[in-house]
Amino acid sequence: MRITFSSVRAVRSSKMDKEEAPTQRPVFLGITVEDEDAVPEPAGEAIGQITTKDDILLQEDSIDLDGTGFVTPQEDSSATPTESLMDRLNDQMMESVMISDSPNNSEEDDVAPIDSYLDGGEQENATLGHKEEDSKIGQNTTEIKISVDHLEKEGSEQETKEEVGSQQQVMASVSPQDDSPSPAATRIEDPELQSISPKDEPVPVCTIFSQSTLPKLLAPDGFQPTLIKSPSFTMGSAGGSDEAMTPSKLTVPLVCQPSPSLSKFFADNGQANPASDFFDSFTATSSFISVSNPNADLSPGGAPSHIALTPEHQVSSTSSSISTPGALLDCSTPTPSPAPTEPNTNSQPLPEPNTNSQPLPPQTVSAPTTSPVPVSATQAQSFNQLQAVFSGSDDPFATALSLSEVDRRHDAWLPCEETRKVLISVATQQYSPAYVESNNLTMPGLKFDNLQGDAVKDLMLRFLGEQAAMRRQVLTANSVEQSFIGLRQLISSKNWRAAVDLTGRLLTALGQGYGKAGQPTSHTTDSLQLWFVRLSLLTKLNLFQNAELECEPFGNLDQPDLYYEYYPTVYPGRRGSMVPFSMRLLHAELPQYLGKPQEALDRLYNLKTICLAILENLEKGLAEDGSMITLAQENRQASLTLWRSRLSRVMYSMANCLLLMKDYVLAVETYHSIIQYEPQQRVQLLSGIGRIFLQIGDVKTAERYFQDVEKAYQMKGSNLSHATCVLMNRAFVYLSQNNYADAHATFLEVLKIDPKNPVANNNAAVCLLYLGRLKESLGQLEGLVQQDPALYLHESVLFNLTTMYELESSRSTQKKQMLLEAVACREGDSFNTQCLKLI
Amino acid sequence: MDVNQAKQEHLLALKVMRLTKPTLFTNLPVTCEGRDLPGDLFAQLMREDPSTIKGAETLMLGEMLTLPQNFGNIFLGETFSSYISVHNDSNQVVKDILVKADLQTSSQRLNLSASNTAVAELKPESCIDDVIHHEVKEIGTHILVCAVSYTSQFGEKLYFRKFFKFQVLKPLDVKTKFYNAETDEVFLEAQIQNITTSPMFMEKVSLEPSMMYNVTELNSVTSRDQGESTFGKMSYLQPMDTRQYLYCLKPKTEYAEKAGVIKGVTVIGKLDIVWKTNLGERGRLQTSQLQRMAPGYGDIRLSLEVIPDTVNLEEPFDIVCKITNCSERTMDLVMEMCNMRSIHWCGISGRQLGKLTPGASLLLPLTVFSSEQGLQSISGLRLTDTFLKRTYEYDDIAQVCVVCPFMSNEC
Repeated sequence: MRITFSSVRAVRSSKMDKEEAPTQRPVFLGITVEDEDAVPEPAGEAIGQITTKDDILLQEDSIDLDGTGFVTPQEDSSATPTESLMDRLNDQMMESVMISDSPNNSEEDDVAPIDSYLDGGEQENATLGHKEEDSKIGQNTTEIKISVDHLEKEGSEQETKEEVGSQQQVMASVSPQDDSPSPAATRIEDPELQSISPKDEPVPVCTIFSQSTLPKLLAPDGFQPTLIKSPSFTMGSAGGSDEAMTPSKLTVPLVCQPSPSLSKFFADNGQANPASDFFDSFTATSSFISVSNPNADLSPGGAPSHIALTPEHQVSSTSSSISTPGALLDCSTPTPSPAPTEPNTNSQPLPEPNTNSQPLPPQTVSAPTTSPVPVSATQAQSFNQLQAVFSGSDDPFATALSLSEVDRRHDAWLPCEETRKVLISVATQQYSPAYVESNNLTMPGLKFDNLQGDAVKDLMLRFLGEQAAMRRQVLTANSVEQSFIGLRQLISSKNWRAAVDLTGRLLTALGQGYGKAGQPTSHTTDSLQLWFVRLSLLTKLNLFQNAELECEPFGNLDQPDLYYEYYPTVYPGRRGSMVPFSMRLLHAELPQYLGKPQEALDRLYNLKTICLAILENLEKGLAEDGSMITLAQENRQASLTLWRSRLSRVMYSMANCLLLMKDYVLAVETYHSIIQYEPQQRVQLLSGIGRIFLQIGDVKTAERYFQDVEKAYQMKGSNLSHATCVLMNRAFVYLSQNNYADAHATFLEVLKIDPKNPVANNNAAVCLLYLGRLKESLGQLEGLVQQDPALYLHESVLFNLTTMYELESSRSTQKKQMLLEAVACREGDSFNTQCLKLI
Repeated sequence: MDVNQAKQEHLLALKVMRLTKPTLFTNLPVTCEGRDLPGDLFAQLMREDPSTIKGAETLMLGEMLTLPQNFGNIFLGETFSSYISVHNDSNQVVKDILVKADLQTSSQRLNLSASNTAVAELKPESCIDDVIHHEVKEIGTHILVCAVSYTSQFGEKLYFRKFFKFQVLKPLDVKTKFYNAETDEVFLEAQIQNITTSPMFMEKVSLEPSMMYNVTELNSVTSRDQGESTFGKMSYLQPMDTRQYLYCLKPKTEYAEKAGVIKGVTVIGKLDIVWKTNLGERGRLQTSQLQRMAPGYGDIRLSLEVIPDTVNLEEPFDIVCKITNCSERTMDLVMEMCNMRSIHWCGISGRQLGKLTPGASLLLPLTVFSSEQGLQSISGLRLTDTFLKRTYEYDDIAQVCVVCPFMSNEC
């Protein structure tokens, strides 16, 4: 039996397609669904099949992919033949256009859209093909006409769907080929042939070739910052209208809630706090809201009581003379300042001092939880109560004192020269904040106010139907308390999108809502914390561009109005940066995800310099900012610890950034230098460096580092996590030697010590696949996901699982949908649905 | 018959996935301090994330392996591995399944299947797996042809094929350059450029010399038994980076003796390059035989066997010249030594060197001193063949550095 006809799968990926394709995809899919309900297989599979679409007449052994076979039908078609010819050519070239950075496979999203666009074309074509095929089976002689028919049909379809765009036209023009060669094919003895072409269409074919071009925007290990714009982001714009009402809705709960929650918090605090240290984790219930600064009481207390407090506080907290230029506030100056500046602040176009009195529950964010002084929490509580009654006892001052230590330690920062001058003049009343030039002010505002949505639910709606989608219950911004408590709840339940929404509402309530960018505002500890949370969630969600957009008004986070000294009346006596250190770090890291790693490095180096300067000040016996305050020994030590840990965190970011830049030599050096700050992470860091070398391909150097790890491990004695680390490293070396069998065995050894180790489980399954044991591998991963979804519903595992589904069976979509259901039960709205490869 | 067949689907599905090395998952650390609004939450979320490194959550590069996400690029010299899975999608038992995987290149067709025997039967929902490997040796379009033939429950013989096309690209750009030393040594500079898009670890770049030469690699600096690469810590080549390797080739004595042998175009040897990329993905290439045009020496070749590199001012020093008759006839030579501006010869000029047969050479010790400091060129030797009355001039034979030995005292 001779088979003369067969399908050639050409992987198409021409660069030019990549821009338009993503936008087109949805349209196509929509069409296909409508057109052909008979197609049982899901989009993902269809894609595979699409690629097979180029059914070419091939002689058995001469596989010559020249375009002649295609050209003729194309010319018949009304649609742009040149373009499709170009397509053909690109076809040939395809691989060379693809650029793969091997570790990252960053190009896959370039490739993806093309395929999906092929998908659309093919599907449609498939439909037609079916009908035609049905109507005239076996009429070999007249089949040429069919293709013409096709063309006409296609043509009309194109007209009706103008909006589909030129891309589709190309496809349409191409599609006739599929059918035309088959009729044209002179196969008499070969009845199967006919069967092949229609068969090919409905039979879902999924291969890695198509996989390579699958529409994965997913870059689970994306070294390169592949920007993934959440679909819900765009979709959300529709919801924007109802969002518009939210602020007004919001303000109501916001205003009424504070007092109860505040007191609740303190209760929590009291329990959670004692003995907790800076870096200690605190329990989930422990609050993040607490009174750290006596200023918080301004609001209830009002101006008079406050003024009374200031001088005392001043004297007690800083019993020093401030002589260094670094000192921003003189002891003497603040004392008179409150009274005179008060009017100033009012005259300022800032409503915020009032906001200040507006009783937001989160009004005061800060330290107690982390306070090294166990007493403080309880004191804070009594303090608060006292404040509430406006009674002036000594307690508040003692609290203020201890808290101010913590505040000073955490808030310390070295502003740039210009900012420092402004702050000094504000402090010395040379001029009031009102006269600070507006370009020196920070005027943030939300840049988008649409709801973030829930991609999981959207997928369910699409694949599992409305009913199933309705069953999905996740917390939304509406379903939680409109406060920091609600925010925390959303974050911990992994509903980060909803949390972003909530930060938006809370910021709107603070006057920094949508469209408020560029309008003067005043900052509070809370507003900046909210911004920090918002930006970090956007980053976690890979919405880097949004984060950058909203980060932009903050400039370099060094403007005078971001320092406490700028608000002597609101925060009397408090000094340092309102911007949390973590936000500075985030701000510094952000550009690296947007293809600007150099800028990120610059910012990180700047942070490092300041950290070092502060450490130097501390070692010289000065306060963090260089002022001559005598610090108690334990406070100095706590400060040193804090700033060293911050320094090492900055170094980590630098190393990560260098790794993204593929500057491996510097990255390795930087990781190595972190060991001196974090000696307890020695094993992890050395192993990490070893893995970097494996990634480059330098197996020998990697082994050297792994040996160091083993030495460190032997010296320290048995430690579960270190033992697994050593084994894991060995397995990676085997892997790099193409020895998958031993790698697999070693991962299994890890599991003997630590049966629940998700990494070893996953990696063992991956090894099985390379050993040609797909079913086993699949079975293992599937079992893991079912037994312990908490650990294995992770995007990397799911990605592997869906990849194997695609390789295994033509019914992968059903299986993926089952995964989607599992995800829907457990995961929040921040789940990255792309790893399911359903779209 | 036709009708039925046309509607029938294949009972088996063929899937192919290229097995490039897996990649390590990287996570994106976002942290906060305990004092910030989220408190401990971010840290907790990161600890719970299975892909982070426990105890060092801010380390970006994790340990979780992820399967290849796309076909990627394949380069000459790398190994093409692929998973071929034939799955029985139907609900009937299929018999006599034969899966054949061939790779068609522009010049040949290779069979890659591990076994060519048919599988007796395949139950529903089970599959036949095969992992094929092939070291890619040609550039350009390759087509993987997978053919599946089987017999259905009803004894129908069925057959289908699938084609998977991919392009093999060139990974490296190699340029070479030869330098001829004053002696018979040849220096080879090889510029190797990484023209892929990923960093490349050069595991081995060596020159396999032809039978005429011995080779010394000049790519590491040896100090105290420890060879340090001249490339420092950069063990890898970034995309588009170029690296220069240097080799010194010395003719083996048996060939060096006969100067005539190394003349014209000679084969120097070939470069053998082994590289690795992501997680040990290996590639290996050899260049074609490198050839060089041996420099022409005319009829008589004068080379220096011994010469000091640094000499003292106005102090005579010895050099040894080697005079080789490269012509096809016997020569009778007379040597004259002409003093140049700074180079002064000692001894008698116009000396008879005697007869020199073709291919023969003689060693000639000479004494010379320089009257000027600095780098001085040894020049001014004249050889005259008395048979043909032809004079050969030898200038700029070599350079010596002339220093003043009293410099330090005078100062």
